[in-house]
Amino acid sequence: MTTVVADPAVRDWRQTLVDRPAVALSGVLLLLYVVTGLVAPGMFTPNGVRSTLLLACPLAILAASQTLCMLTGGIDLSTVMTANFAAYVAANQSGQGPLAALSLALLVGLAVGTVNGVGVGVFKVNPLIMTLGMASVLLGVVTVGLVGDGFLSGSTRLLPVLRTVASGTLFGPVPNNVLVWALVAAVLIFGLSRTGLGRAVYAVGDNPIACRLAGVRIWQVLLAVYVLSALLAALGGLLFSGISGSVGPDQTNAYLLPSVAAAVIGGTSILGGVGGYTGTILGALILTVLNRLLLTLDTTEAFRQILYGLIVLALAWVYVRLTGQRGA
Amino acid sequence: MSQPLLQTTAVAKAFGPVVALRAVDLSVAPGEVHALLGANGAGKSTLVKILTGVLRNDSGTVAVNGEPVLLRSPTEARARGLAPVYQDPALIRDLTVAQNLRLTGVEVADVRRELAAMDLDGLDLDEQVRDIPLPFLRMLDLARALVFDPQLLVLDEITAALPPDLSERVFAIMGRWKKRDRSVLFISHRLAEVREHCDMCTVLRDGRNVASFHPGEGGESQIVAAMLGEASAGVRDVARERRAARERDEEEAPRLVVRDLLIDRQDAGVSFEVRAGEVLGLAALEGQGQDRLFEILSGNARAAGGEILVDGRPLRARHPYDAIRRGVVLVPSNRLAALLPQRPIRENIAIPLFNRVRRWGPINTGRERRQVSEAVTRLSIDTRAAAQARRLSGGNQQKLTIGRWLAAGFRTLLLFDPTRGIDVGTKHQIYDLVRELADAGAAIVMFTSELREIGLVCDRAAVLHNGAIVAELPPTASETDLLTAAHGLEVTAV
Amino acid sequence: MTATPRAEVATPLPRPTGRLERFARRQGWVVGVAVLLGALILWRSSQIPAFGAFEVRGIVAGTMTLALLAMAQTVIVISGGIDLSVGAMMVLTNCIAARLMLDQDLGPVVLVALLVVAVAMVLSGIIGAVAVVSGVPDIVVTLAASFILAGLALIVLDGPGGGTNPRFQELLVGGFDQPLPAALWLAGIFLLVWVPFKRSRLGIATYAVGSDRAAAFLSGLNVGRTRIAAYVMGGLFSGLAGLVTTAFTGSGEPRASIGATATLTSVAAVVLGGVALMGGSGTLLGPVLAAFCLALIAPLMLGLGWDPNYAEVARGVIIIVVVMIGGLLQVPRRAR
Repeated sequence: MTTVVADPAVRDWRQTLVDRPAVALSGVLLLLYVVTGLVAPGMFTPNGVRSTLLLACPLAILAASQTLCMLTGGIDLSTVMTANFAAYVAANQSGQGPLAALSLALLVGLAVGTVNGVGVGVFKVNPLIMTLGMASVLLGVVTVGLVGDGFLSGSTRLLPVLRTVASGTLFGPVPNNVLVWALVAAVLIFGLSRTGLGRAVYAVGDNPIACRLAGVRIWQVLLAVYVLSALLAALGGLLFSGISGSVGPDQTNAYLLPSVAAAVIGGTSILGGVGGYTGTILGALILTVLNRLLLTLDTTEAFRQILYGLIVLALAWVYVRLTGQRGA
Repeated sequence: MSQPLLQTTAVAKAFGPVVALRAVDLSVAPGEVHALLGANGAGKSTLVKILTGVLRNDSGTVAVNGEPVLLRSPTEARARGLAPVYQDPALIRDLTVAQNLRLTGVEVADVRRELAAMDLDGLDLDEQVRDIPLPFLRMLDLARALVFDPQLLVLDEITAALPPDLSERVFAIMGRWKKRDRSVLFISHRLAEVREHCDMCTVLRDGRNVASFHPGEGGESQIVAAMLGEASAGVRDVARERRAARERDEEEAPRLVVRDLLIDRQDAGVSFEVRAGEVLGLAALEGQGQDRLFEILSGNARAAGGEILVDGRPLRARHPYDAIRRGVVLVPSNRLAALLPQRPIRENIAIPLFNRVRRWGPINTGRERRQVSEAVTRLSIDTRAAAQARRLSGGNQQKLTIGRWLAAGFRTLLLFDPTRGIDVGTKHQIYDLVRELADAGAAIVMFTSELREIGLVCDRAAVLHNGAIVAELPPTASETDLLTAAHGLEVTAV
Repeated sequence: MTATPRAEVATPLPRPTGRLERFARRQGWVVGVAVLLGALILWRSSQIPAFGAFEVRGIVAGTMTLALLAMAQTVIVISGGIDLSVGAMMVLTNCIAARLMLDQDLGPVVLVALLVVAVAMVLSGIIGAVAVVSGVPDIVVTLAASFILAGLALIVLDGPGGGTNPRFQELLVGGFDQPLPAALWLAGIFLLVWVPFKRSRLGIATYAVGSDRAAAFLSGLNVGRTRIAAYVMGGLFSGLAGLVTTAFTGSGEPRASIGATATLTSVAAVVLGGVALMGGSGTLLGPVLAAFCLALIAPLMLGLGWDPNYAEVARGVIIIVVVMIGGLLQVPRRAR
């Protein structure tokens, strides 16, 4: 007579860590912040907090794109180009008024996302390659647009509203862009955990076969994800231009790999099905503070790069150990 | 009496709570073709894996030529003279045959020699494995095993899916091995072959060997009786009484009609009907087309011909969504395919609710919680390990795959071997559930590899053999009859 | 009772695929790329009235780096992985070579070259070992490695600098009108390194591991070691790419963005060359030819009088369209 085996209901600390990575990440962030503050006392002032949040925001928005794509087991390497392009369009069309300019910028995101989504969802192209190709196309389009009479060569006056939103201060330690960030975060966190689409996103990343058997049309979910990713990228580009005060064809490029790193550190598995935006937010903050620490320590660019890489690797390794998610 | 070539004594193996082998004594003499028989789940493949070094037995001994051996790996087993030919040839599809051979250290020339002896030297070994049809891959695997000149050739269902002329070559090799005083362990469902070519047979049931005899004497009926044992005859269940008591309206149109559905073959198709409130049991041996049939019925694959009618209207599904929309849902036996391993129970149950864009909006958590907990309670799913589905026990995982459709609603339920690998307690819970669902008006088609379940759960039985329905039997049919029909043999009228 | 049915009909042996058909099926894509390359070269030569050794050398030597990186990426992808750090490895080896070769004679320069390649192989092996042992997906490990390698490059050279020996340059990439050295090196590497590797047991094992890791394990292969070996080989090629960069530009440049762009282009070349990103199939020749095709796009546009900036757009569109078509063609094959 065989016996029913029920799983032990032991909840040891490792299990808690796995189910709620935000706890551990907050701890790491706090520790890191304190250490940084010891070297750069300015961190504890309202101004210090403000500048951290200000810098973390565009990274966090771009990392949101990656989070969405990674949850379905994909990746989006075209986000920074979409961001640059959208920023340009907004600046270019700023004469038409903020509504028109911003709408056009977001339209860029919509178009890019649709092409990416169709490629990945319908034609089943590997997301790495699809978004890579897209990035090339966008780079070319932007470069062409800037040349001579190109369609982007008009005015590059930044929309005043962008400046205010992106680099203004709400009060003390809170910059305006945190409002945008908070809105995005709220929508994403709610969307991923409490909407049907959110459930479908996790499901597609976890087991596409099971999704198909349950009647989910996977291409629809992928299309939605890549469109959202590109829209967020456009938003990130707009915010960044507001902070930097200008537009440039490769403004946000340095954020590409860190945006992926932020998502990975935040506990989103690159294989899909696990993770969320909460962790990514913490990941983005950790990376921003880390960057600040390394800058303050007056280390060389070289040392910063190396440490960056080592920390990303270490955190990813820890995740695999804890969750038992081994690479394919 | 000379030393047996192979002798296992009280070999036992368990996988967690599931006991695959209890105590198996098997004795193969030199120069003997010995058949290993048993119904699905009797323990045959586990025993084979132990003999070929893939698994280690928990207790008991294995002796070759009188000497006890420890088979820790396939290489060690081969060194001891035990070479297998598995049902799924262990070849890498993207490589050529020659490359595969190089990889495992086998000389191409040797394999060619063996192939020539089989009259198959026309086979091109520079073809990619994916381009060679399965029967020839089996023969290649056989040739490869022969190169090692094993003392005991273990053939696992080699003749299943082999055309007659290739099977003949296999028998010729078996004969050759006998003459050289070497032996063959022949696992097969084809009782006629066993009778004709084997000197001895051992029947396994429930992880034990229950009979060993010369198959020629007693014939197929003795084999079948040994496979099923005494217990099969009189088992009746409370469910049966319930079923008898229920009235059925014979005039009612069938909910699901399958007509001449071409699954694997072009010349004959599957036809059957199921009414609301009815459980149709489908019985078949391994590999008779049941997998593909269910894939087609659930909308995951297209049939080469024939038609499916749901509530009188044709169903032409291109995606499971089309079938689900008509109320036809599938519970597959492969839980890995059906579950979201890293997601919690709640999400696993709720997933069909979000399979269209209209449902992508905010979830009514109250309603979801209610639907989920209804399903959980109804199925008594143990939710202690609720955070990730992969941490649940096999039985609970299976209940989860059923629970998902309870929450989403359905009219026709397709169950594919729902109790495979599940503990006895959960099995009975599932039987009760199936009866309840039928009583509530669902039409149910259930394929099972355990024949006794037909009698316990179903209103009718259909037997699938070689891609077509070969018999329709009442649930009162004995397991003997079912098994006989499943082998493609005539069931003698009572 | 029924007896075993006697065989009346002999099952026909599978018709051996004719040599032509097999060639078409397996190498069809590569042939297509080769034809495309031929057409592009012809087109280019028609654009320049005095198309000669100078132009050929420009094409070959100029593309050599990308071709080598494509080789590195191909080996790793065939083994079932991916390496986002090949570009950074190239930058690092470029800087090490440039720094050590400055103002040296040919002898020491050649020794440095060998040292640099060895370092690349060792580092790449370590990266592979980390991926195998930790279980972290390749893409994440190599992503982190790309930061680390870029940082190391900055330590070696904090800005553009270093130099090399002119004789070494000539040897590796030829003078301005000598296409042969570069072409010979590429052909030599292909014939002397890749071809023997592909036929060897390790080479077959690499394909096996990329095709079906579980089956490879059951066949008795040491999966971890095979994967690490693929990374070491990748290191060989990306180390050579760095050397070629030193020879071609005559200096070292530690800018990380160069590495990133190069890496991504190498992935594009691999896919365009007919190698499946999921591993287990493909040849080295395809990506190398595809690299040349990609490199010819900009000069062709220049020749047409088009804005060479459109080259980037064209490149991206071509990549997308080609992989979409490739995806459509794959589907019936997979269904078999």
